[in-house]
Amino acid sequence: MTGSTTPIYRPKPAFDLLRVPGLGRLLRWRWGRLVFQLPLAVVAAVMIYDGLTGPKLAPQNLATVAAWVHYRGLVVLALLLAGNLFCMSCPFTLPRTLARRLSGHGRRWPMALRNKWLAIALFVGLLFLYEALDLWASPWLTAWLIVAYFAAAFVFEALFAESPFCKYLCPIGTFNFVGSTISPLQITSRDTQVCRTCVGKECVNGSAQVLGCGTELFVPQMRSNMDCVLCLDCVRACPHDNVALAARKPLAELTIAAWPRRWDVALLALVFAFTALGNAFGMVPPVYALESALARWLGTTNETLILALIFGVIYVALPVLAGVGAAWLSQRLAGAGSLRVVLARYAPAVVPLGFAVWFAHYWFHFASGALTIIPVLQSFLIDHGVTLLGAKPNWRLGAILPADALFLLEMGSVLIGFIASLAVLRRIADNTHEDGRMATRAMAPWLALLALIAVLAVALFTLPMEMRGMMAG
Amino acid sequence: MTSKKQLRRSFILLILALGLALTLSACQRASQQIDTGASSGIAMTLAVNPDPATVGQAQVTVTINDASGQPVSGAAVAIKGDMSHAGMMPVLADATEDGAGVYRTDLEWTMAGDWIVTVTATLADGQTVEQQFDLSVAQ
Repeated sequence: MTGSTTPIYRPKPAFDLLRVPGLGRLLRWRWGRLVFQLPLAVVAAVMIYDGLTGPKLAPQNLATVAAWVHYRGLVVLALLLAGNLFCMSCPFTLPRTLARRLSGHGRRWPMALRNKWLAIALFVGLLFLYEALDLWASPWLTAWLIVAYFAAAFVFEALFAESPFCKYLCPIGTFNFVGSTISPLQITSRDTQVCRTCVGKECVNGSAQVLGCGTELFVPQMRSNMDCVLCLDCVRACPHDNVALAARKPLAELTIAAWPRRWDVALLALVFAFTALGNAFGMVPPVYALESALARWLGTTNETLILALIFGVIYVALPVLAGVGAAWLSQRLAGAGSLRVVLARYAPAVVPLGFAVWFAHYWFHFASGALTIIPVLQSFLIDHGVTLLGAKPNWRLGAILPADALFLLEMGSVLIGFIASLAVLRRIADNTHEDGRMATRAMAPWLALLALIAVLAVALFTLPMEMRGMMAG
Repeated sequence: MTSKKQLRRSFILLILALGLALTLSACQRASQQIDTGASSGIAMTLAVNPDPATVGQAQVTVTINDASGQPVSGAAVAIKGDMSHAGMMPVLADATEDGAGVYRTDLEWTMAGDWIVTVTATLADGQTVEQQFDLSVAQ
């Protein structure tokens, strides 16, 4: 009898976004995700329409400006300040839901593909296509890329029972998953005791009314944002209202061995960092000199081959060699596990610096061109007889920060990322080795790797940028 | 059986959506169908100084001739330089006539890379002709 009147014990809750008046209620609402998805679906439809039928110049087209300037700038900001908000609002999953309804229950995703290898390949593949096809300069190709995303999400949802597209394939999701490991918010249970006695485990299994986690994460066991699309289905499915989107200690996830100790997950972190360097390298003068030198050396004018060589080395060979090399040295100097275990233990340390390089690059474009969306939108509306935003586009709108501030932003970002990576590295080493000297020896090769990445990033951002199509190089 | 039928229905829907996108990609909005002067025989050339172009101040010269090769005077010539990347503010300038059919203006190439220079000439008879020129600007 007393049990019915005694409140269930709950630990003192940390900040929980789902308890914020108004916003929390909206997020928990059954159609809450749709509120965020529908506006982005409209934006995606307009981008496809303008990309296919509108101006052929990238700076004048909504598809290219919104995709390559605004999306990228805003997504890294969201990851830094909150979490994986793009995946939460992802419009590509709307037809996916339709596919699920139409096709019924599909097959399980093959066991051999339940890892990050395909995700890494597609992530690297998309970044390579970005360079090889000059995606950033083509509204038409950008529009087709968006169409391809919708089609792929639809097809994989129609064929398979889970949501394999998000978890195992989507390059955007792959980027966001790694980026969100530094985010301040994470899904967690409010009271683990409630989960322990929960019979249905609706957060992962779903119920008759609400779907469970599409990427099959089990809330009370979650220690990482990896693979979480923030759909909040777990929140809606939990009959005990026991799921929180809570604040957590900065960088905590990276220091507590929260990821599975697998080659693919560890190498994903390293690929994330090196692709940040490579993507920025594609826009500075040395890449054109390197292209020319390789063309002469190989006696070929096949640009795709040359780009495949350059970016194959930066995106694949370097992260593998640098990561495995650092792990091997660390193991030789301090032991503490197999090569795989050592690699998996320390690889998370490169994420803050890698994220900082992505942030610096994307924010260079966003801060120097955020306002260009206004004349592009004006032009689009005028094309359709709407003069709501003016009868003539104001093409003199561009930057939101002066050029000097952009440089400081880039350098500051790299410096903060480097310091954050060092802090993570130190914590991992101290957690592993009781002896301080052994900890220092274990982290030394990783310290050298972080320093190398930071120096390369500073060198890249110091170089003048060239907005050049590779084909014209 | 039901599942197969539902799956088939999904793919029909997908093919219809892709067909719509494909049809759309073959279309061009009316505003994008510009007169490049081919029908009226108007020819434009673009010259830059310094040549090859480098980052910084430059002089741009546009020459306009009619179908018979005669210079076209009295046109209003607007120049817009766009970089190939999205998010870059364009360079804008109006050229003034400096001799029969020759229009000049000063402007600044703000960044190295590939530029697309759009010249829009409104002729004395009200006809508007537009041509684009690719330009590579070095550091």
